[in-house]
Amino acid sequence: MRTTCPYCGVGCQVEPTVREGRIVQVLAPDIPPNHGALCVKGRFGLDFPFSEKRLLYPMVREDRHQPFRRVSWEEALDYTAHKLLAVLKRRGPEAMAVFPSAKTTNEEVYLAQKLARALLGTNHVDHCSRLCHSSSTAALSRSLGGASMTNPLEDIGKTDLFLVVGSNTTETHPVIGAMIKKRVRQGAKLLVVDPRYTGMAEAATLWLRPRPGTDLFLFNAMARFILGEGLWDQSYVEERTEGFAEWQASLEPYTLEEAERITGVEREKIALAARLYATTERAGAYWAMGLTQHTKGTATVQALVNLALLTGKVGKEGAGLNPLRGQNNVQGAGDMGGLPDVFPGYLKVSDETARKRFEALWGVGLNPEPGLRMTEVFEAIPQVEAIYLIGEDPVTSEPYQDHLKAKLEALPFLVIQDILENETTPFAHVVLPAASFLEKEGTFTNTDRRVQRVRKILEPPGEAKPDWWILQELGKRLAQALGRPWALYPGPEAIWEEIRQAVPEMMGGITYRRLEGEGVRWPCPQEDHPGEAVLFRERFNTPSGKARFIPVDFTPPVETPSPEYPLVLSTGRVLYHWHGGTLSRNSQLKEAYPELKVEVNPKDAERLGIQDGEIVQVVGRRGRIRARAWVTDRTPEGVVYAPFHFAEAPANRLTLNALDPISRIPEYKVSAVRLEKLD
Amino acid sequence: MRLKVNGRQVEAKEGTLLLDLVEVPTLCHHHHTETKGLCRLCLVEVNGRLLPACATQAQEGMEVRTDTEDLKALRRTLLEWLALSTDLSQAPALLELLEAHQGQPQRWGSLPVTRREREPIRDNPFFLRDYAKCVNCRRCVDACGDGIMGVYALTLEDRGLLAHPTTPLDRPLPGTPCVFCGNCVQVCPTGALRPLSMEV
Repeated sequence: MRTTCPYCGVGCQVEPTVREGRIVQVLAPDIPPNHGALCVKGRFGLDFPFSEKRLLYPMVREDRHQPFRRVSWEEALDYTAHKLLAVLKRRGPEAMAVFPSAKTTNEEVYLAQKLARALLGTNHVDHCSRLCHSSSTAALSRSLGGASMTNPLEDIGKTDLFLVVGSNTTETHPVIGAMIKKRVRQGAKLLVVDPRYTGMAEAATLWLRPRPGTDLFLFNAMARFILGEGLWDQSYVEERTEGFAEWQASLEPYTLEEAERITGVEREKIALAARLYATTERAGAYWAMGLTQHTKGTATVQALVNLALLTGKVGKEGAGLNPLRGQNNVQGAGDMGGLPDVFPGYLKVSDETARKRFEALWGVGLNPEPGLRMTEVFEAIPQVEAIYLIGEDPVTSEPYQDHLKAKLEALPFLVIQDILENETTPFAHVVLPAASFLEKEGTFTNTDRRVQRVRKILEPPGEAKPDWWILQELGKRLAQALGRPWALYPGPEAIWEEIRQAVPEMMGGITYRRLEGEGVRWPCPQEDHPGEAVLFRERFNTPSGKARFIPVDFTPPVETPSPEYPLVLSTGRVLYHWHGGTLSRNSQLKEAYPELKVEVNPKDAERLGIQDGEIVQVVGRRGRIRARAWVTDRTPEGVVYAPFHFAEAPANRLTLNALDPISRIPEYKVSAVRLEKLD
Repeated sequence: MRLKVNGRQVEAKEGTLLLDLVEVPTLCHHHHTETKGLCRLCLVEVNGRLLPACATQAQEGMEVRTDTEDLKALRRTLLEWLALSTDLSQAPALLELLEAHQGQPQRWGSLPVTRREREPIRDNPFFLRDYAKCVNCRRCVDACGDGIMGVYALTLEDRGLLAHPTTPLDRPLPGTPCVFCGNCVQVCPTGALRPLSMEV
């Protein structure tokens, strides 16, 4: 039976064969988006639902020092409702936060944010895209009025130049990486901007290696050069954009000479990249965490947006602005309103018209104040007293781990709803065992806005239940006590029908029946609408219909190397693992990549006397971790790279919680460390 | 354009492969891996010449025959040789085809060298390379290389009955650029590449 891969945002269609309670093979059907191709995670890493770490029974405890006690669902839900209501009564809605998950279905995210907003009255709703693409969301929304890939993945086959920035595509979105590389073999050009020599850099026509955290300077310099050479799209800028003059003036300091000094990239290369991008009609930009996870993440994405507008690349086939979304349903989690400032469909909670729509639909008054973002919620403990955490593992994924742990220690009430035990489970008061993607129905929305079905192939183990069922049951109890309305749904399709009603302009035409075949892309307002492939062909989603240039200035990273901590630590992922490792390290994948390896440039290794394969300590201002040194020129001199998948050696013990002022994303990509030999 | 297939007039669009117009068996052809023209099972007679239907585009005025006695005999022989030299126990589609063509592999006697003696290679946590079952269709090599991945961890070595896919310099897969996407496993028609999870 066909379903959707639960790892990354590509949304590959998979057909797992399950025999005697295990997956014997995974094939891919010949339909979009993956057309029969998969990566190692989708092919060999789908067996985590069979892990011994599965949470099988609801568990409760009065305080963190007691052992968990197995209870019935009835008791667990009653207890959770009772505790949440007590906090609500004592401290009000501002003391509660609900985090839906970008790994659960659209229907489940919709219910979670509905529960938070309609029953608890709080807009403290957020999910893990806060930590990945919130900068892209902010920049794209401000400029274009929409925050998703502007172009479909099919456009890769029509693109003549790829500008891939800060994305290790062949490891983090391998099927897209392979699609881009194939197009390059057919003659398209590939410009890669990345401090690391990734698989994309290896395939590149031109590879620029800026110092970490300097991309913004590079893009501004490219824009200034394009203007100077007259290579910009004047009619596009005049007809489709606003704010050009002010932005143009802001580019004055960004000369090629200065760019070379700041970024470390030769000026000729910057000029060549700018020329190629500006003069190729079908040039598409693709990016990921390398751009976004900085204190100037929003500004950096903005600089790239400005560059694309200047050269007229948005709203055209084979071009566009394409953030590669990380989690399987990170697009959907945003679409469904799993964010503190918006309802489903990105309608602002502060906007009265939008609020009236949801007040009418849900039959309750709603809070007009945007909520706190995830990173802010953790900081607000213990003013925030109750957190309902679904499918997230902040102890592994948040920066500055020791600080976060201290915050969780001080949190009066934590509910964890998840499929597997993880690093955050020990901090819980209530554990609600959830069904995995193999064990429930629903939809995920992939990175190019394609809504796709998730199908039940197995029964959940133990007493695990689908997230939507748990949310519905908890909601029922809260609603009864609060005297508020709460709809009950026979299943996910009924929830989806409500979503279609809630945001008809986006999802109105997408029915489960239509999704039997291929997925359908939003916006899709009517059932006979094919779903929009390229966004903004005619107008942007801003009030004026025009895209906005927004000036942005370069600022250096918050933590710069010092004599005591002379190296820059950059964190990220590897092909074989996924985020905190909760899924991938409980699957067959663990054998292929069992332990943390930290990439060290040969020059740094030689100076420090570190041999390839030696165990070292990576030491930062906030902590230290042990890792095996991998001496490789994949990473530039002065930079070490550590994947953050390994709970026993968590890279996020070293990262700092300096945040972007707009998106509140942490600066995961730059912190200062030193390497110590273990003598 | 118009052409004749087995004496019947057929309409076809520019660029159509003969394989899309005629009913013939095929083994190596795969549109994702772009493999074509190797196994010779889909040979057809075009204006008196033998051409692989999977690698030949339809052209105006072509006279195509797919069912001559010679072609039937050729397919039968090809299938018999595959069955004789290779372990087809996990290739149900090929076994069916062999039966449909009334193949009798034993009529050729035994071969001096066969693939059947090759030992399975287990060098990674995910899948097995069991070249006793390999018919050299090359799909795996193409899936890994130009067709899908652009990784080039697989290549074809040797000739004739000794020919087999392997890694560059016969290295274990973890020592190659292999990313274990398993796309080679997916396109393998004979079970020569198969997930370890299938082994009991």
